[in-house]
Amino acid sequence: MTSLLEVCAVDELQPGSCRIVEWDGDQIGVFNCDGEILAMEDRCSHDGAPLAEGVLDPDSCTIECPRHGAIFDLRTGIPTTLPAYIPVDTFPVVVEDGLIKIEVD
Amino acid sequence: MATPDQTRVPLTSEEEGLKDLNADYTERYGFHDAENYLFKAPKGLTRELVEKISEFKNEPQWMREFRLKSLDHFLAREMPTWGSPMLAEVDFDNIHYFVRASEKPERSWDDVPDDVKKTFDRLGIPEAERSFLAGVGAQYESEVVYHQVNKDLEDQGVIFLDMDSALRDHEDLVREYFATIIPANDNKLASLNSAVWSGGSFVYVPPGVQVEMPLQAYFRINTENMGQFERTIIIADEGSYVHYVEGCTAPTYSSDSLHSAVVELIAKPGARIRYTTVQNWSQNVFNLVTKRAVAEKDATVEWVDCNLGSKLTMKYPSVYLMGERAHGEILSIAFAGKGQHQDAGGKIVHVAPNTTSNIFAKSISKDGGRSSYRGLLEVAKGAGGSKSKVVCDALLLDEESRSDTYPTIRIGEDDVDVGHEATVSKVGDEQLFYLMSHGISEEEAGKLIVNGFIEPIVKELPMEYAVEMNRLIELQMEGSIG
Repeated sequence: MTSLLEVCAVDELQPGSCRIVEWDGDQIGVFNCDGEILAMEDRCSHDGAPLAEGVLDPDSCTIECPRHGAIFDLRTGIPTTLPAYIPVDTFPVVVEDGLIKIEVD
Repeated sequence: MATPDQTRVPLTSEEEGLKDLNADYTERYGFHDAENYLFKAPKGLTRELVEKISEFKNEPQWMREFRLKSLDHFLAREMPTWGSPMLAEVDFDNIHYFVRASEKPERSWDDVPDDVKKTFDRLGIPEAERSFLAGVGAQYESEVVYHQVNKDLEDQGVIFLDMDSALRDHEDLVREYFATIIPANDNKLASLNSAVWSGGSFVYVPPGVQVEMPLQAYFRINTENMGQFERTIIIADEGSYVHYVEGCTAPTYSSDSLHSAVVELIAKPGARIRYTTVQNWSQNVFNLVTKRAVAEKDATVEWVDCNLGSKLTMKYPSVYLMGERAHGEILSIAFAGKGQHQDAGGKIVHVAPNTTSNIFAKSISKDGGRSSYRGLLEVAKGAGGSKSKVVCDALLLDEESRSDTYPTIRIGEDDVDVGHEATVSKVGDEQLFYLMSHGISEEEAGKLIVNGFIEPIVKELPMEYAVEMNRLIELQMEGSIG
């Protein structure tokens, strides 16, 4: 059964920035990619590094892992370069009443 | 009671002979030419030098930015603490990072500067090109001085260029693949290469094209304290085949040089790439290399990796089996003599289901040399139906030498078939006795044992390299009876 996890007010997440929320012992990164709000597991599937500390590219909507440079598509969680090859989880984003929320299990 | 000396087993004549492997390196390869360079950077790595390299090559802005970002990654990261204690001896401030010997790659040996041409003549490269190669790139210090590919291959759309020319003439194609398999921040030495790369090969084979004869690149260092950082990308499009062979040597100096290459291979669906290396650097070269391949659906990548030279080699060619029924093969052979450490091996990662792989690694250690097998076999969740076999064998020729094995196996699926075997042996009296009792001379018996040990790998080398490898071994084993 899914529930909605509140993240923050829409105004508080400016383009190019990220907010981390905790759910069930894991961290989820919520990104504003040039106006599009996306949520993805904040743990690189290659070596466990915090993806949210990496470099966000708003043009391609990807994030580069700070530890070894693997790039993940923020919309799908699929890595586009090695050394990562296992996708990470993504979470549907809902914006209602001026608040950013994500759907979690 | 016997003293330790009296109980020590005497060396056989073939063991004595093999101990001199590469003993003639200085006469054959260890010479150096006078330095008539167009440009030789002073020692040391600076931001200004990285910018200057990019300017020299007239690169697009994105490549210049890539280099500078890579430099930041290199400076921010510590050296690995695993592998070899010799790593601590690498002095990054005592290296020339860019040396230009000529204006541009020539298509005729007659146009290559005389000294450089004579060196390659002496190394047998033009002759090999005439005899059995479809294309040749010859790199001297930082850049390729000669490059040629058979016209009929060019007419079929095969691209075989030095990397600098490829970036200039096929920028979009290069950009599509550059650093997608080994990102700039992958590891410290890859970051260094990404900042100061120069030379190397770019190969693109169109769909369905079979390049029957090998393409070869030869890398030669000349100056002392040189850093050579070639960058190679090979793309085999659907259903195509290419065999790329590289060789390297350097002069014998008492102070150290550094070689750190980055090689990225992509085998598209149904394609096959074989990449053969005969590494024979002089024993003052640190050889720290990152080589990685992706094999898509029904594709095959084979690494044939022979390490004879260098002071320290750390190199683990890898294959990521990303598409169903892809196949990866790593054949590795290493000789470690006095003062050498060959830390070799390979990595195979099964990502897609029904993929297969083999790793065969053989090493010979002599005179206190040290060889290691370091490998990873990983079967990710979702790669059901995969099969793999890893065999690593070590041959120790004396009590001073050393061999270690560091295999890692990670299995994330139940439905797999994975095997691992490892042996350590000595050319023993029992083996010799057995062969000699069948009428074979002691010298021949020794050769048979050593050749049998490395045969599975040497037979995979292009004929002339296999002949050369066998010659090197046999030369040292002949005439050492009695």
